[in-house]
Amino acid sequence: MRVLLVEDEVRLADNLATALRDGPGFAVDWAEDGQAGDDCACNLCYDLIVLDLMLPKLDGLSLLKRLRSRKDSTPVLILTAKDGADSIIQLLNAGADDYLAKPFDLGELIARAKALIRRGKGAAHPTLSVLGLTVNTLEQTVVRNGVFVDLSPTEYRVLEYLIHRPRVIVSKRELLEHLYDYNWEHHSNVIEVHVSNLRKKLDAVLSECGAEPDPIIETMRGRGYRLAPSLPMNADQSPEPAASSAPIPEQGQ
Amino acid sequence: MKFPIQPRSIAFRLIVAVLAVELLSSILVVVLSFGYERHIHFRAFDVMLHGRADSILGAVQDADDPDDNVMLDQADLNIPPDDVYEVYELGGRLLGRSANWQGAGASVPQHPWGDFSQTILNGHHYRILRMQGSRTVDPAVKGGTVHQVIVVYGSPTRHVWHVIRSAVEFYAAGSILLLIVTGPLIAWLLHRGLLPLRQLASLASQVSVDSWQFSPPASARSTPELAPLTHAIESVLQRLEHSFLQQRAFVSDAAHELKTAVAVIKSSLQLLTMKRRSAQEYQAGLERCLADSMRLESLVADMLTLARAESSSPATAPEPTTDLTACINQAVTQLETLATLRNVQVHLKETDLSGKGTGLSAKGTGLCAKGTGLSAKGTDFSGKGTGLSTKETDLSTKETDFSVKGTGFSPYIDPVESVGALAPEGIQLPIAPEDCGLLVCNLLLNALQHSPSGSIVEITLAVESNQTQSTAVLQIQDHGDGIPAEALPHVFDRFYRGDPSRTRTTGGTGLGLSISKAIVTRAGGSISIASQPDPTQANQGTTVTVRLPILN
Repeated sequence: MRVLLVEDEVRLADNLATALRDGPGFAVDWAEDGQAGDDCACNLCYDLIVLDLMLPKLDGLSLLKRLRSRKDSTPVLILTAKDGADSIIQLLNAGADDYLAKPFDLGELIARAKALIRRGKGAAHPTLSVLGLTVNTLEQTVVRNGVFVDLSPTEYRVLEYLIHRPRVIVSKRELLEHLYDYNWEHHSNVIEVHVSNLRKKLDAVLSECGAEPDPIIETMRGRGYRLAPSLPMNADQSPEPAASSAPIPEQGQ
Repeated sequence: MKFPIQPRSIAFRLIVAVLAVELLSSILVVVLSFGYERHIHFRAFDVMLHGRADSILGAVQDADDPDDNVMLDQADLNIPPDDVYEVYELGGRLLGRSANWQGAGASVPQHPWGDFSQTILNGHHYRILRMQGSRTVDPAVKGGTVHQVIVVYGSPTRHVWHVIRSAVEFYAAGSILLLIVTGPLIAWLLHRGLLPLRQLASLASQVSVDSWQFSPPASARSTPELAPLTHAIESVLQRLEHSFLQQRAFVSDAAHELKTAVAVIKSSLQLLTMKRRSAQEYQAGLERCLADSMRLESLVADMLTLARAESSSPATAPEPTTDLTACINQAVTQLETLATLRNVQVHLKETDLSGKGTGLSAKGTGLCAKGTGLSAKGTDFSGKGTGLSTKETDLSTKETDFSVKGTGFSPYIDPVESVGALAPEGIQLPIAPEDCGLLVCNLLLNALQHSPSGSIVEITLAVESNQTQSTAVLQIQDHGDGIPAEALPHVFDRFYRGDPSRTRTTGGTGLGLSISKAIVTRAGGSISIASQPDPTQANQGTTVTVRLPILN
């Protein structure tokens, strides 16, 4: 998951970015003023925007309004030093999804950030399950057919992103955009390696417990990856609205 | 004992004034009407007296005696019973008189102003007419005999007075009735007339901290009496609202800054506890927390300084004084490490605009001495300052000049002026020493922080004099990036940062210039800032000018 942090206080931004990277393992981009934040947000590659209200050049509320006026539905978490219901009502009415008053608790910030990302992707519960594969986003653990799967942080992040969008073809570019911040060198074969390792580990678990191999991640050559291609349409994990525009795979593939 | 006089309402005072004027005029009317009625009625009375006296004269007839005497025939006289009369012949012989009178005799005085006189008969006032007439007896026989006759006729005046009194009473009663009617009428009219004033008051009373809306009715604005009041209320409210909003903005900004600073510390600490870390990581984290705390500390200290500089009025404390030149020296000494670190040269320059402040040259040597310390530390400065104009005291290169001449700024100040100098006190300013130090340090620090490496910060001190007041003009000029024109009006605003990312990293709290302004304002001076942000211009950079009154 990739988070845009718009905060002008350097030290606070440092701490927040570190916490978001170390804790839930998000990729974090930092913009130090409202204008830069707006420019970054235009890329539409963020799963969450953490926005300070008092910013130079363009204040947080105006940025939020711009964001929403161009139909950007990225979840926005506001950091505010202002108390008072009026300003909070104004913020939420302007399209903010949540807010935290300074000085806030870092743990609470991370929890809210996770919840917003989850909600933004249409999942209510922090534990996601598809076809015997269970991902606990709080503990960052993966279980397949009752067996624990040991994944590297990057492999886990790939799986976490994919399991939020089952049956939807996710391109390598999309994975790159959402898993790495802009300081990362964009080499698409990095993704290929990670996905290949991930698939191997997931399949290895099946063979360990003697089940038939069932490739849960399908590679669509030149198009991307697809998790749980055999998931029926009326599964628990219903596709999110954004996925409706994606090509719907044939049954039994 | 002295009781405070309770001020009455304007309406009450106006009503009393109007009623008093009315009362006065009704008294005047009564007096005038009395005079007029008396005049009219007594004239009629006098005419009547004349008529009656004439009829008495007509009753004087021939007595048909051989001496051709006359007699008064009282039989045909028709006279009111209260009237009195008396008829004499000029010689003094009484011809007849009314029965109810003893008579005044011929002695009834002949008044010089008329034939009337007053007297009291039987307890009543009488008006007496003394009339002289003539009677000719037997005009046909030998020319007749002419008898001069004096008729004295009197009539009581009480009827006349009664009429006059009733007329006056009528006028008086009318006036009192008028007073009684007009009192409430005026009260009602005043009540109506003062309605706009009450409306204004009720509108003004609706203004509160939460709603500054004050929209006076157009009638109040166009009424000549209410227009100044309306205007005054409006302008007072505007000023109050402005300062209130400013104060509220300051509190909100201060809260934001403090909360942000606390958020930084809190998040730094929580970051440390998020997972197990090595001893080095803890060490580094704690150092960061300490640095964050120090930032919070300096923020609080700056806010307190600002509050102190803005709150205390100059009249409360005994006038402290500070020597500006010494203050500048101190600031330069304090900041020379930073100047060296940032590779910035500090130049001190002194000009004398008035010719009065000749004593500055003596102090100037002090500046040079400090300045040489600076140039000695900044070892690579010496070559850079050579391109400067000769008016400037380039400390690093002109050092030898001073050691030779030893008289301070003599090469740069008119020699005639400096020769007459007698070790005076320097420039004494009405500022507390710590405030003055803070002011100069703040400005110099700003200049140093905004100076690119290898550039020069120029401190210029001048004295301007007119007949009444000498002013010290301190200019601190850097050659940095300058301030964009749109930011220039806000630089003295509290917590304003021209370029947030830069000043945050240099550790400024955004209060330095506000504090400087508060100090200068308290000392009765002014501070202004000019900037040329365009790098293509030769004089790029920022100049802060402080003007402070000098104590005599």
